[in-house]
Amino acid sequence: MSLENRPSSGRRKSISYAKWGYIFILPFFLVYLVFTLVPQVLTIYNSFFTNYMDGLKQVGPDFVGLKNYVTLFTPNKQGIILILKYAGNTLILWLLGAIPQFAIALLLAVFFTSYRLNIKGQGFFKTVIYMPNLIMASAFSMLFFTLFSKVGPVNQLLQQTGLADKTIDFFVSKVTVRGLIALMNFLMWFGNTTIVLMAGIMGIDQTLFEAATIDGANAVKVFFRVTMPLLMPIFVYCLITAMIGGIQMFDVPQVLTNRLGMPDRTSFTLVMYLNNYLSTSKNYGMSGAISVIIFIITGILGGVVYKFLSAQYKDPVEKPRRVRKGARK
Amino acid sequence: MKKLIAIVLCLVMVVAAVACTSKPATETKTETKTETAAQGKVFNIYAWNEEFKGFFEKYYTVPEGVTVNWIINPSDGGVYQQKLDEALLNQANAADDEKVDMFLAEADYIGKYVNSDATMGIDAIGFKNADTMYKYTIQAATDDNGVCKGVSFQCCPSALIYRRSIAKDVLGTDDPDEVQSKLDSWEKFEAVAADAKAKGYYMTASFAETFRTFSNNCTMPWVDANKNLQFDPMINAWIEQTEKFIANGYTLDCGIWDDEKNQQMFADGKTMCFFGPAWYFNFCMGNAQDPEKGCSGDWAICEGPMAHFWGGTWLLAATGSDNAEMLKDIFETFTVNEDVCSKLVANEKQFPNNTKVVDKFANDATYGSEFLGGQNDILAFSKLTGNIKWENHTNYDQILNESLQSCLQEYFKGSVDKDTALATFYQKINETYPDIVTP
Repeated sequence: MSLENRPSSGRRKSISYAKWGYIFILPFFLVYLVFTLVPQVLTIYNSFFTNYMDGLKQVGPDFVGLKNYVTLFTPNKQGIILILKYAGNTLILWLLGAIPQFAIALLLAVFFTSYRLNIKGQGFFKTVIYMPNLIMASAFSMLFFTLFSKVGPVNQLLQQTGLADKTIDFFVSKVTVRGLIALMNFLMWFGNTTIVLMAGIMGIDQTLFEAATIDGANAVKVFFRVTMPLLMPIFVYCLITAMIGGIQMFDVPQVLTNRLGMPDRTSFTLVMYLNNYLSTSKNYGMSGAISVIIFIITGILGGVVYKFLSAQYKDPVEKPRRVRKGARK
Repeated sequence: MKKLIAIVLCLVMVVAAVACTSKPATETKTETKTETAAQGKVFNIYAWNEEFKGFFEKYYTVPEGVTVNWIINPSDGGVYQQKLDEALLNQANAADDEKVDMFLAEADYIGKYVNSDATMGIDAIGFKNADTMYKYTIQAATDDNGVCKGVSFQCCPSALIYRRSIAKDVLGTDDPDEVQSKLDSWEKFEAVAADAKAKGYYMTASFAETFRTFSNNCTMPWVDANKNLQFDPMINAWIEQTEKFIANGYTLDCGIWDDEKNQQMFADGKTMCFFGPAWYFNFCMGNAQDPEKGCSGDWAICEGPMAHFWGGTWLLAATGSDNAEMLKDIFETFTVNEDVCSKLVANEKQFPNNTKVVDKFANDATYGSEFLGGQNDILAFSKLTGNIKWENHTNYDQILNESLQSCLQEYFKGSVDKDTALATFYQKINETYPDIVTP
């Protein structure tokens, strides 16, 4: 900078740094616009058309209004609305994995951050529990498929130890298939959740824990009265991102069940359904309609969870208690 | 100063973002201009496994200066067709070196590509079909207007492949002719299955093992002219037979490509019969040829209860290829070149698409396949070639055959009833092929 410029810039009454902020976030918004928003709008647009490939020939696009949506919600000959069945599968599969995921993650996060337990070798444990997340989901499910196949090591182990007298087919029963999918999702994600929740707990003022302990609160009380309410924003964030991931569940069941979602498509998820339309015939109309429905479901569930849980932490929890304490005196 | 740094950083980000998208385009443009005149420098081949790649690398000398690119995607679930379709539809816009030059297609879907503009006639590259080729291989590669678009390097009559030691135990003989006489109808086949079961063997190792024998003898295609799905009586016959085989424990309930089935090919396997053409035992029966756990030499082939063929790999010339000369060369090498075809038999246990070479080996008393315990497989297969008829094929066969098997497998395993399994099959068709009308 030359000397002439200096006084002039000093003479300005105020300097707006805000525009630099906008310039710095501009690349993100441009990328978002091109790679997310435009495709999203196009998906909605496409869902009103018949548009697919018959072999190497394109059929459409012809505007058909809401026909694709009507098709999706028309019961089949058995009287089942398939998309609802698959949405139900998806939710069940997610819940089966997410409940233990959050329970264990919360427990571990509390243990790891506890100044009383002061666990040694934290770096090691954190790395180990995060490990499964580094494996590609499809490779992980391929591994499970091989492990649990009829000629796989799990069956051999069960027979050698006498726990099973004959070969178990894990892919015949919906309990075992769903269980395996839930187990994999749990294994892949609990480490990630633990680390995020730990960061959340470490952000809480340590003096609060100490004060609570001095006041005579035991570990359980501290967890429910101090940790959880203050962790809520992070917890809700984790829960909503996990839920969005869960609704989009695809690779684990797809690879584990070899695209079939067996038995009787009870492990068949919404995105697998979408993929069936998209893969061979490039059916943009139908898969667009399914995408829009997934988008709506995600929006509704996200909103419900946010409303329900954020209501708790926004309420001033401590105020009424203080009043009560005072009243008791 | 800070402002300056900020501006520079912003510019770097934007330039980087723009550069990422624009750079490759400009590069390829300059490249293509310089080399459109002669033969292309890159030869792209689409395939679904390494079988042909192996032969190609051994027996074909790539012209100097040409790089061969193999783009291999698994066939399972139609993945190969999807990737290939994407490439072919983009063919016109692709740079010359990115264009598909040749691709492989299987009997189940070759019609889709032959009857499209994505393939070009073999006369366009200066190749002529030889008299030594099997008729059906030409028919399969010929479109509705009579233009032939490719060649096959193999002929695929399918045989019953049996374990000699088990046949001796169950039938009292392992001689192919005698075994054939005891298994030449489905009634006899079922009766023998009961005997095998009594001695602790399985007749077949997969519920779908006999699927091809039935489906290949269908009298009508999967879909009619109005795209209505139709179940041929042969398909129903297969379902009935499999119900019986599963109920009686004559077969295992795994799929034809499952590890569980493949383990039956080891020496300690308990399965007597497999069905398949030459490519099956030389490419898919690796376990049987395993030096330690395998049982090479303990096998033989005979016609079995019903004549049929299975699969086959065709080489198709992609429209827009800039390597016409090389295409012609490859086609010649693997069909007309007697030296190469002989090597395919002697070294690769193939059944070549060259009647001259086939006759040579069939009449050679000294020739015998080590894997088949010295049996002359070429002679055995050559007797079956006359039965091959190319008819009743549709573009949808691969997915329909695959899906029918996977949906009915749940029924055979007992996790759903038959109607539910079929309903899932129809649903899968509706999702995959919106045009097909299902019951």
